[in-house]
Parts: sequence; C-alpha cells; structure tokens
Amino acid sequence: MHTLALIFPYAVAFTVPLLAASLGGLFSERSGVVNIGLEGLMVSGSFTCAVVASRMETVLGPGNPGALWMGLGAAVVVGALFSLLHAFASISLKANQVISGTAINMIAGSLTVFLARTMTGSGNVRIVLGFIPSDIPVLSGIPILGPLFFTKTYATTWLMAAVLAVAWFVIYKTPFGLRLRACGEHPQTADAAGINVYRMRYIAVVLSGALAGLAGGIILVTYSGEFNGNVAGLGFLALAALIFGQWKPLGILGATAFFGFAATIANVSQVIPQFSRIPGLLLKAFPYVVTLIALVLFSKSSQAPRASGEPFDQGKR
Amino acid sequence: MKSKISVVLIGILLVLAVAGCAKKEAPAPAAPSMKVGMVTDAGTIDDKSFNQGTWEGVLRAGTEFKLDTKYLKPSGTTEADYLKEIGNLYDAGYKFIVTPGFKFETTIFQAQTKYADAKFVLIDGSPHAGDWKNVVGPNTVSIFFAEHESGFVAGVAAALQMKTGSFGFIGGMEIPPVQKFNWGFQRGVDYANKNLGTKITIKAENVIYQGSFDNVAAGQQIAASMYDKGVTVIFAAAGGVGVGAINEAKARATAGKTAWIVGVDVDQYADGIYTGDKSVILTSAMKRIDVAAFDMIKAELDKTFPGGKTLTFDAKNNGVGIPAKNPNLAPEVQAKVEEIFKLMQNGTITVPADQGTFIK
Repeated sequence: MHTLALIFPYAVAFTVPLLAASLGGLFSERSGVVNIGLEGLMVSGSFTCAVVASRMETVLGPGNPGALWMGLGAAVVVGALFSLLHAFASISLKANQVISGTAINMIAGSLTVFLARTMTGSGNVRIVLGFIPSDIPVLSGIPILGPLFFTKTYATTWLMAAVLAVAWFVIYKTPFGLRLRACGEHPQTADAAGINVYRMRYIAVVLSGALAGLAGGIILVTYSGEFNGNVAGLGFLALAALIFGQWKPLGILGATAFFGFAATIANVSQVIPQFSRIPGLLLKAFPYVVTLIALVLFSKSSQAPRASGEPFDQGKR
Repeated sequence: MKSKISVVLIGILLVLAVAGCAKKEAPAPAAPSMKVGMVTDAGTIDDKSFNQGTWEGVLRAGTEFKLDTKYLKPSGTTEADYLKEIGNLYDAGYKFIVTPGFKFETTIFQAQTKYADAKFVLIDGSPHAGDWKNVVGPNTVSIFFAEHESGFVAGVAAALQMKTGSFGFIGGMEIPPVQKFNWGFQRGVDYANKNLGTKITIKAENVIYQGSFDNVAAGQQIAASMYDKGVTVIFAAAGGVGVGAINEAKARATAGKTAWIVGVDVDQYADGIYTGDKSVILTSAMKRIDVAAFDMIKAELDKTFPGGKTLTFDAKNNGVGIPAKNPNLAPEVQAKVEEIFKLMQNGTITVPADQGTFIK
C-alpha cells in the first residue's frame, strides 16, 4: 500500500499526456480518419510549448504558471494548425490516411529539430521550471483516496480530467457527437441525412491535433522539462491505447492508465525492493506483450469505427 | 489559385537555397598549418557531453594555433558511416582526425592502416578489429579517462557538504565508464566517512543503472522515488535520464525540499538552475574531454604526438575532477576537496578502478 501510494502520482503524471493524445486519436478515428500522425503532432506541441514557455519564463520568471499555460495554449494551437495538413491531404485530397499521417510524423520530427537548432543553436529547448506538483487541501487528507489521487498532482492532470468528462459528454450526449460517430460508421448515410461529412471530419482531425499538441506540451511542463526532438514514442502508444480501449473514452482512460502504471512500475522497479526481484526486462516488456495479446483476443469483437481509414467519396454508395 | 501556391513555394525554396549557400561561405583562415577534422558519434555536436567537449577542444586549438577545423556528422552510426566521413575528411586534406566514443574502435582500427599518413585521436576507446585485441597504430593515440577518480572527488565533495544522509546513484547503461563513475563515487563517500567524519549511507536499492541514456521519464520517476525514500543527493551519470532526474530535483527544490544532483562529464551547474542563480547541481564529476582533444593537437604541432600510445587522463594531469567553482559547496569544503585532489595527484591517495566491495 505504501509503495503504491509512492508511485501512484508518478504513474498518473505519465498517464495524462498519453490520455490526451489517445483522446485526440479517438475524435479523429470516430469521424473516420485514422491519425497515425499523433506522434508528430505531439512533437510539434512539445516543441511549441518549450519555445513559448521558455521565452515567457524569461519575462515572467521561472516556473511562472502563466508562462506555462501560455506554452500549453500555443501547443494546442500549433497542434491544431499542423493537423490541418493531415486533414487537407486525407479529407480534401482523399489521400491514403496512413501515408499522410506518417508524413506528419516525419515532418514534425525534422522540422522541430531544425527550428530548435536555428533558434537556440542546440537541438534542445529547455524550460527552467515546469509545474510543481501540489497536494489538494482537505481532499488529500482522505484516507486511502487522498494519498492516491490528491497528493502531488499537477494542474494539468485536473485539466485533463475535465477534458475527458467533456469529451465523453460531447461524443455520447450531443447531436455533434452523434453526427461525428455517424461519419465514422457510415459516412454515406450521414451524408444522405444532410450532415457535411467533410466538415465533421475536418473538425475531428483538428480536435485530435489540438489534443495531441496539448499532450506534447504536458510532457514538457510536467516530467521532461526539455524538448529534445521526440516524445519517446508516446504517440504510437496512444494509438495502441485507443485500440485497446476500443475507441471509447472510458476504455481509453483504462488503457492509458494501464500503460502509465506498467511503464512507471517498470521504470521504478529497480529502486523499490519489492519489485527488484522481478527481472527489469520482464517488467519493461509487460505492457507491450499484454497489448499484443489483447489485440489478438479483441480482434474478432473489435468495435473499430467501420469507415475508419476510408476517404469519403460522396459519389460512392 | 494553384499557380499562386506554386509561386509562393518557389519563393520559399529560393530563400532557403540562398540561406543555405550563405552559411557555407565562412571565410577560410589564411594558410593554416594543419587541418584538424572531427567525426561525431551518435548524437549531435551540442550534446553537452562527448561530441561537444571534443569539438570545444578542437575549436580552442583552432583559434589558438590558427588551424583549419571541421566536423562531419555521419548519417548513421555504423562502421561504414564513420569510415566514409573519415575518408571525406582525409580527401579534403584533414589529416588530423579526432573521434569521440567507443563506437569508433573498429573504425579507427581500419582507418589507421588505410590512411597511414593521417593521425588519429580516439577518445574513450582503443582500436581493435572487433575482437577486443587492442592495436594502437603508430599514427593513433587512444585516450581513456579515470572516471573513478572523477567520481571519487565528487563523492568526497558531496559527502563533506552534506555531512549526514543517504545518497543514490543513477547510471545510464551498465558499461565500464559509467560503472567506474559509480564505484569511484562510492569510494569517495566511503573515504569521507572513514577519514573526514561524515556519516553518509548508500543503500544497494538506491544504486541503479536505468539501462538507457535517453529515457527522460524514467529518470524523473526514479529520482522521485529515491528522494521520496529520503535520499538527499543523487549522482546521475546517465545522459538524458539524468535530465529527468535534474528536472525532478528542480521541482522539489522549488517546493522547499532538499534535493541535490551531482552532475557528470561537464559542469552541469547551469542545467540545474531553477530560480535566479540557484541550482540543484551540488557539483559535477567532470571528464576534461576538451583538454584531451586540445592537448593532442598541441602535441602534434610540437612534433611530440604520442602515436601508438594509450593515454589515461586522470587527476595527475588534470584530466578529471570537479569544477573550479561550485557555488553550492561551502568554501571550507571546496578547500578540503582541493587538498584531497592534491593528495591524489601526488599519489598519496590512490583510487582503484575496480568494483571492490562496492555496490553494482
């Protein structure tokens, strides 16, 4: 129990960006556009956040929350703008979505490093100080739940909790969500019902870009503190979590939390005597092996949006 | 519409092309006496470690002796990639070539016979054909560092400053240079405990090798777990993993808790600054890579290039040690450490490079 309480906050911190990116993927795929470019969008978000936050920190002082929030805001905007490339190629031009997503990954990876070099003379952009985890007053005093959920929390964690709730509500309880899902299941029918499929898909892809950008920014202002050209493959892990979570917000929450915990346990296992008996390699491979098995098991009952990956062609029936 | 876009695109391309040309046209120094080339290892020229240190040494020699200097970054990290760039440098007249990192061992083994009239400096490695049988050619110098001595000084300094408490170590991969840092650090702490009246403990569970040099998240999480368990000082010899650890220390220091990091390879004080000029870097266990590169170039100019030899940079020739200025160390600690460093230089204190009875 004590050990669990120790690693819980770190696992949550690791889960949150994964959750953000995965939710982004959810919006995109539910509308019928596969967004394999999540990784690239996260990289661009992380870069933007690093540049803006580090510049603002010199003005407002290190660790100033205003500077960090501005960085996150910029990351959201840039992520959204960048995803327009993917939207344009895969929706308007009806290009292969996997290829345009891969292109996003490649462009983001090289462009950000190029810009970082031109700006700082180094491939890395560093912020002086990120968010400081804090305990929530009163709530952190609750037995069991307090130490797990309300100690050492980042402001961004609560932001993501709110985003998750809103995302769930929007997808399942609003006309917009219904239309979005219709576009991903059977765009022709949606079109016949008078929904502008192109517009819905554009909105969904831009939302996914914004959330992936936010995810990249969160990585930077919480645990990494330095942009170094990549986000350690979290974008692809987010895609896996999306499938593992069966394209449902709460399923994704479970899947990302699973990844977050498994990765954290693997990371800190060496420091915690209770875990150190298990070979580290086993712990590190664990989440990926489980994902593979889960994908095999779920493959028959997989509830992927039916039109996901197919460009919408109005003339096709 | 389409033609407008293409006009804009062509415009951008032209600007880029012109910018690209402009950068290459650096004025050539007047008739340099020697051309010094460098091939980078994995990572970039500004990696705050090997490549950067080597390049700084080369640049310093370049300005001081008015030499022509150039570095090439291979497209990959295989022997063929490295050899290609060495060949490119050689063909362009760069016949003094510095290569950092043990990954160049087999490359230099081939290059030293292929380009017999060129000189090679291999930092942190020794040429061999892949069979670990070292053959340092007459035109090659192989340079090693006494990481254990560097770790030792840093360990003594950290122990003297903290007096009591628990220390930890985070390493990158479990490879000899990192291991030697670890053992040296533990020896330093042990020395301070036995001879200087400090009471520092290092628990086995707080001495770990993360297994990579780039997992920032793991660095942060491991450091956090160690600090949670009461560790006050972490020696992070782990590249990007260390960046995560420093980040965690900054967050804690800002919240008013005790969390120190001992830096590695170069003076990392600036990396640990969290507010004003306050840094979480207690001190750094340095390898003077730049000094090694500079010294070899100087030796070549003086016609004393130690070809065929394997050199070790240690306390005796100021090749390792802690920074001259450590704002987080008390003046008396700094003085005491300098005293001990002198004892190491004259051989009174010897630091073994092996594991001995120490952890991992």
